[in-house]
Amino acid sequence: MSVTRADPAAPPGGPAGRPTGRDEPDRHRWRNRLHRFDMRFTPYLLVAPFFLLFLVFGLFPIIFNGVVALRHWRLDDATLTGWAGLANFEKLLTDDDFWNALYNTFGIFVLSTVPQLTLALVIASVLNRRLRAQTWFRVGVLLPYVTPITASTLVFAVVFARDGGVANWVLSVLHLTGDEPIDWRSAKWSSWFVLATMVNWKWIGYNALLYLAAMQSIPRDIYEAAAVDGAGVWRQLWRITVPMIRPVVIFTVVLSTIGGLQLFTEPMLLEQNAQAARGGANGEWQTIAQLIYKVGWKDLNLGYAAAMSWALFLIIVVVAAVNALITNRLGGGKR
Amino acid sequence: MAGSGARWVRLVAASAAGMLLVAGCSGNSGGGSESGGAVTLKIAYWGDFGLDELKGRYEAANPNVKISLNTGEYNAQHEDLQKKLIAGDGAPDIAAIDEGFVVQFRGQADKFVNLLDSGAGQYESKYLSWKWKQTLTPDGKAQIGLGTDVGGLAMCYRTDLFQAAGLPTERDRVSALWPTWDQFISTGETYTRATGKKFIDSGTNIFNPVLGQQSVGFYDQGDALQMNGGPKVAFDTAAKAIRADISANLPAFQPEWNAAFAKGSFAVLACPAWMQGHIKNSAPDTAGKWDVAAIPGGGGNWGGSFLTIPKQSKHADEAYKLLEWLIQPEQQIEIFNKVGNLPSQPALYQDPAIRDFTNPFFNNAPVGQIFSKTAEGLTPQYLGRKNGPTRVAVENVLNRMQNGDLKGKPLNQAWTEATKEAQKAATS
Repeated sequence: MSVTRADPAAPPGGPAGRPTGRDEPDRHRWRNRLHRFDMRFTPYLLVAPFFLLFLVFGLFPIIFNGVVALRHWRLDDATLTGWAGLANFEKLLTDDDFWNALYNTFGIFVLSTVPQLTLALVIASVLNRRLRAQTWFRVGVLLPYVTPITASTLVFAVVFARDGGVANWVLSVLHLTGDEPIDWRSAKWSSWFVLATMVNWKWIGYNALLYLAAMQSIPRDIYEAAAVDGAGVWRQLWRITVPMIRPVVIFTVVLSTIGGLQLFTEPMLLEQNAQAARGGANGEWQTIAQLIYKVGWKDLNLGYAAAMSWALFLIIVVVAAVNALITNRLGGGKR
Repeated sequence: MAGSGARWVRLVAASAAGMLLVAGCSGNSGGGSESGGAVTLKIAYWGDFGLDELKGRYEAANPNVKISLNTGEYNAQHEDLQKKLIAGDGAPDIAAIDEGFVVQFRGQADKFVNLLDSGAGQYESKYLSWKWKQTLTPDGKAQIGLGTDVGGLAMCYRTDLFQAAGLPTERDRVSALWPTWDQFISTGETYTRATGKKFIDSGTNIFNPVLGQQSVGFYDQGDALQMNGGPKVAFDTAAKAIRADISANLPAFQPEWNAAFAKGSFAVLACPAWMQGHIKNSAPDTAGKWDVAAIPGGGGNWGGSFLTIPKQSKHADEAYKLLEWLIQPEQQIEIFNKVGNLPSQPALYQDPAIRDFTNPFFNNAPVGQIFSKTAEGLTPQYLGRKNGPTRVAVENVLNRMQNGDLKGKPLNQAWTEATKEAQKAATS
């Protein structure tokens, strides 16, 4: 940078300019220099705060986390310290809890992401038609997103209570349960269903609005032409809408992959004693993020927790890439 | 030319300095109170230690002291203290520690104020000797805490529900119903048959008292896990109760459990002295309907706490003064009368204020006599460094027997599972 800056000798006015007035070229040069500085460096100044913060709160923790992952570090035993090499990662491979948490995380992830994005797509295409009270509906679908996640999770936890929960009451009114109420927290399938419901409820509207925004840019006459050719609503959705908003679809898939694999608040608060971080008596719904919290802050084994979070990081990168690739193919993309 | 480079450097330096400044300020804020004259003492504990009213009294008598009470969840408070001891900052001026965690913290005596240096040695003779030793380092040189309460066992029961089931309600006749745990379980079956309601709250609240009655708990003196002694006996008893179908399957210390006190979802509950306060706080409307009988299988300890002063405290002297005040007979008696925590100084058991105390909430049961009798007869077991997490792990297996994947499975499968989980907790 300083090399290019060291080269200001020829201002555009040029030495051949007006000979009169000694200060005018001077001022000219000064303003010029200021202008150049502005053009060249202001953008860097403006983006600097983000990158400085990213360095301090983003990159540094990630790297430091990697260092911690290679060390023994226990909060309840200050003497146990020093390099562990890959011991923490080796332990990971044989740890039942880790595989159980991974299984849960993927189960809940599939149960939430697939219906979530599909429904969001359908809702968006409905909202994209002419409707009465359009704005009302559009704001309506976004409301769950505005609700604080903690508040909505606590409400859902009450709805799905074993004794006196609304969900069991509805099922009993419909004569869908046996003599005993369903204990939602006691089995994998039921607790996953509860968590997926929470996630779906919150994010469907958000994704729908993203899709809707993208859909607005699709020219109407394409649909008209398709209708003339005899394409039904579904065919239009899959053959026209989805391919034309493909970048947004990929974006939402990547976003929900990251969010889904990091699921933490919902499983944490589904437990009546949130502090336990166990995800059910047998870890029925313990997610990886929750397990990391437990290992780090309850078992006080920071080195091992750091190894787990690095593993999670790698898993997310891989899954997000694969998902983006698949979505690209499904949407008819060539790249 | 060079100016732009310098400018960059300055900019970066300035923002870095700003961040350091922020970090520096937050680090120091804890000690800012000296200048104003008033000292704020933070006390961290869980549940109800009966400190609300004592706080006001102490502040009135010591105008330069403010007391800040911080109550939280049992496990969370201990884990939090551990983190802050290692971090070297943020621990309260007085931290309560339960006997289930005390070995872990006694092993880090260098992080606590040695109360012997403050003159606490004079109280040694006043304490139950085992209680004094629980916080004393093995070499006898450092005392990290002073005992507050002990948890001698009894059985609390609902007289109105017993009456509805056709069972006796008078406390001696109730005690006579169950000299052994087997008889206790068959009484439960009678109750459940008669009323269609569940008898006990949870299998874990059978497990814990039975374990407390055994001579050896989860760990031997060498901190090696010993599942086949006391834990096996306790586990089998709890499993038997669960299989008899007399348990309301409510995991203890969770919201549904708390709500069940008011709803009368169960009729009996193993009651260490400190549980009295919990029942009263959870279901104030059931006053007079409770009573206290003997527990099957005799004495045993469950719980009991200590107050310690972490070395990080910036007002260790003031904290010691408060701590010393709190363990004086007058305050200990007041706490007992208010929340039921039984003092760990046996001389107080002869004090009329405790000896003759009857608790109106518990149908005027002579709780002073009941609990001091069990406390005096105690030989507590050794609780290892990992006792807390191990207990939680086994409790989880019992919860799975009640309503999870182990429900209806053979008992030996559940026991294998319990051993596995306990081992995991021991090595975690």
